[in-house]
Formats: sequence, structure tokens, C-alpha cells
Amino acid sequence: MELETDVVSHASGSARLRLANTDILVGVKTEIDIPKPDKPDSGKIEFFVDCSANATPEFEGRGGEQLANSISNMMQKAYHSAEAFNLKQLCIFEGKQCWKLYIDILILECGGNLCDAVSLAVKAALFNTRIPFVKAALMDGGNIDLQLSDDPFDSKLLDVGTAPLLVTLCKIGDKCVVDPSAEEENCSVISLIVGVTGNKRHYYPNHTDKQCTESKCTTIGMNGPGSVVSKTLKDAIKQGIVAAKSLDEALGQALLKERQQNIGMKKHSYGFLK
Amino acid sequence: MPLDYRRFNGPEDSVSYKRYTNKYYKGYDELYKELVDDKGRRKDGRALDEARSMCMFFARTDLISQAKGSAYIELKKTKVVCSVFDPREIPHQNEFSQLGQLYCEVKFAPFSCAQQRRPHVDAEDKSLSVALRQALEPTVCRHLFPNYQVDVFVYILEHDGACLAAAINAAGLALANASVPMYDIITSSSVAIIGKKVFVDPTEAEEHLAMMSPETEGTNHGIITMSMLSELKQVSDFVQIGSMDIECVTEAMDILEKECENIVPNIQKVLVHNVVQSFNQRKQLEAEAKEREIALNVKMEEWKKLLNAG
Repeated sequence: MELETDVVSHASGSARLRLANTDILVGVKTEIDIPKPDKPDSGKIEFFVDCSANATPEFEGRGGEQLANSISNMMQKAYHSAEAFNLKQLCIFEGKQCWKLYIDILILECGGNLCDAVSLAVKAALFNTRIPFVKAALMDGGNIDLQLSDDPFDSKLLDVGTAPLLVTLCKIGDKCVVDPSAEEENCSVISLIVGVTGNKRHYYPNHTDKQCTESKCTTIGMNGPGSVVSKTLKDAIKQGIVAAKSLDEALGQALLKERQQNIGMKKHSYGFLK
Repeated sequence: MPLDYRRFNGPEDSVSYKRYTNKYYKGYDELYKELVDDKGRRKDGRALDEARSMCMFFARTDLISQAKGSAYIELKKTKVVCSVFDPREIPHQNEFSQLGQLYCEVKFAPFSCAQQRRPHVDAEDKSLSVALRQALEPTVCRHLFPNYQVDVFVYILEHDGACLAAAINAAGLALANASVPMYDIITSSSVAIIGKKVFVDPTEAEEHLAMMSPETEGTNHGIITMSMLSELKQVSDFVQIGSMDIECVTEAMDILEKECENIVPNIQKVLVHNVVQSFNQRKQLEAEAKEREIALNVKMEEWKKLLNAG
């Protein structure tokens, strides 16, 4: 698995992930919006998946639309709970203004296990998303005029420790397979997708809060034309949580390592040429 | 999303008047207290683990004459209509598909919810449609109509919680009514989880609170909908949103499994009633046909006599 963050200069945060033959680029754009009236103190987050025709010719035209919809739906559901991603950190003025994160997911190459790869890339991109500080605000009648800081380093990072990772489990025969390849996906009639919250400790080493070390399910969904017995379903969920935990730890370590390299200016950028 | 300009869409930035009522500003705790009274009863008098499938359930079929099969299901205030149409060739497809396809569409009526719904298809409609298809695909014998698709349309007239479960139940009933070959009766049920309390077959208010994030960290909350083929003991769809630990999920699964089985007799009753009714109808038709034949024969004899006499 290859992961590189901060690859797109015009995005607030970005990440590119290559998992075997699956290639995904995620860019996070930030914009200012008015919060929803029923949630005045929280921001907004929105996912867009674009299946480019580069990946497979099937995606040409509107071919990939259904797949793209199902992935973005899954992500939206996984990020819904405040335990997974706290939208309150995106608030600027309660009831007046908030940040809206547009997360654009570009699928460059499709080699199986898209959901998992997308969730990993999104978490990595959010981890290095920078939101500028608000320097001053002018109240003009009911309107607010914001003055943002121009300095790109004068910005805050998001707290994404608990952001969920999706794990796909393909049922082949009697067993459930984690991280399926495209061939394995073709073999199975049903797959289960489990979204599991991350652990803050892996992302913020000096975080000492003892709570929230427990992994929780944020979303569960099924995909494919088959069905399963409930016992298999229970086992698969447990298996998915175990897999997600180790995946989360590995992602956290990799991201921290890269950040340290960034600070020391030692990082060598690979970009898309490999 | 493009708007339909032939309709009156109302101003873009209009808000519901309910925002300015006192009820709107109730906090989480206040809303939570309202859901259950001191005796552990919910607002509509049910116990926590009591579904609406027992005494607040109504189902019937054959209400849309144009459709091959149709069903209407009512869970007190949740009202759903479903219609199933004849198989037709899959449009815009070049390849031959071995298995038949299901096309599902879920739509909310504009007046179905507390907040007004725009007539165009939004993200929630789409995700419900996908979930419905996922639930129905394992039940239908799709190998019997290759290269054809069956259309399933669900219209939610009134939404008071558990609308996906109601949609799946209605669609299963409508498919059976349209005599689409199926492996088993499909039933579905949902629970809302708030902290330690499990609300079986939640209402809209309960669902709303379960989706809201509680102020204390680490509490379980969320909604689970599960659909089952009870005879085959197969789970055909499982949808969970929120945040909960694994024990909570497995516990809820056991409850849902039981609840799904409880709905089966309700559906069976309607189906049996249908069969009996169509038998009676056929008998009546046959009797009428016979009567007509006798009358005709009598007429023929008369004419013959007249002809012979002439």
C-alpha cells in the first residue's frame, strides 16, 4: 500500500492512495456556508465520488454513477455520527457561519476493494487538511464579514482521530475475506461493509484521554445479490472490527511519520511518477 | 440538483414556520424525557419492545388496478403504497443478462414529513431505493426472467418512522401479489437505539433523537434496519447508522430477527385471503359462464325449431 499526502496544491488537504491496483486521489476543499437551522453549531461535510473513465471503460459516460453513488452514500453514513467526526469543530459563528468541507474522491484505477481504499484516503486527506484561522470579523447588520489569515501556515488542523474506516468483507464459500481483490469480488455474491471508528491515540501521540479507545460501528451495509445467515453476519462484523483496528493503527503511524518528515523538510515528494 | 420549473417550488431560502415555535428549541434531554413516561410507556402507549405490527398494522393488496400487483401497508401513522409492474425488457442494455433485474424506486410524498420535501429525487430517496433493491434481490427467483426487469415503485404517503422497513414489507407483499416467483416471504423491521434503551419499530421522533448525537461521549445511538427471509433464516439486508459497540449490534440483531418473524403471519394472512378471494372469484366467473352457456343453448334450440318449422 502506498500513501502520500499533500499532493494537490490547490486543495486544503489531499491524499493519494495506491492499494495493489486501486488508485485513489482525494482532495478536500473548504468553503464558508450557513449552518443548517436544526444544527446551528456544526459544520457540513459532503462527499463526491468521481469514477473516471481511465479506471475501466465501463465507467464511461454515466456507467460509474451507481457505484459512485453507493460509495458516497456509504461515506456519508459513516461520517454521520459525532462520535466518528465531530462537525462542531467546523463552526465559525453559531447559527451564522460554518465551514463546509467538500471531499472529492477521484478513482483513477479500479482494482477491487474500493470502499476501504476510499475511506483510508479520505482519512489521510482530512488529517492534513488545514483550515485558516479567522483573524477578525465585522458585524454589519445581520451580515458577518470575515477576515481570514493569508499565511498558509497560520491554520488549524482538524481532529480526525476517530474518523471511521470502512472494511469490506466478501463472503466466499463459508469464509469472509478481508481486503478482496477484483477477482475475489467477482467470486462472491455478497459483501458486507463495516464502518469502524478510529482510535485517537494512533494519530495524536500526546493524547491522554482514556475514553474513546473503544472501536464502534458507525455504519453497516450489505452489497450484492446474495444473503447471509445471521450468525455469519455477526462473525463478519467482529472480524471487520479487528481488521479495522489494525488498519487504523498502521494508518496513524504512517501519517505521523510523514508529518515529521514534512516538518524537517526532509520529505521527498513522489507525486504520480513511480 | 436541477429544479422542476413547471412546478411552484417556493422561495429557495424559505424555512418552516415550526422553527419559530417553542417546541423547536427543546434540548436533547428534554426531548429524551418526552419519549418515555414514568411507567416505561412510549408516547403512543406502546412498551419499548412492542412493535406496531401487532395491533396498529393494516395491509391490503390490489388497490392499484393498472399495476400487476400492489400493496398498501399502514403502521399507525406510517403509510406506504407499493406497486409492481409486468416484466419488461431492460432498457438501454446491449448485453444479455442471465439474471432478471429489479428496478426499485422509493419516493416521499411532498407532504409526508414534517419538513416539506421537494418533488425531485434527493439523496435519501436514492439511498432508500438502493437499500430496497438490496433487500429484494435475494428473495426473487431472478433466473426465471433473464434479460427482463421488474419495476417496483414505493410511494411513502406518510412518514412516522421505520419507513424503510415498511417499504420492504410492502414491496414483498406487492411482489407476491403480482405473482413474481419468490423463495420466501420477506419481512423487515427496525430499531432505534438511544443509550441503553432500545426502541423497537421507532416513530419519527424516536428516530430523530437516535440520529442526533448525545452530549456525553461514548453513548450508543443509531438506527438499525434488517430484513429477513424468515423460513430460510437468511438476512437479505442490514443497514446501520449511528455509533454503537458490537454487543449492542448483536443484541439488536436478535431482537430484529424475532420481530421479523412476528410480521410473517400478518403478511401470510393477507396472502391467504387473496388466494381465497381469487378462488371465489373464479368460481363465480365459472358459474356465470355456465349460466350464459345454458341460456345460449336454449336460444339455439329455439332458433333451430323456428328454422325447421319455416
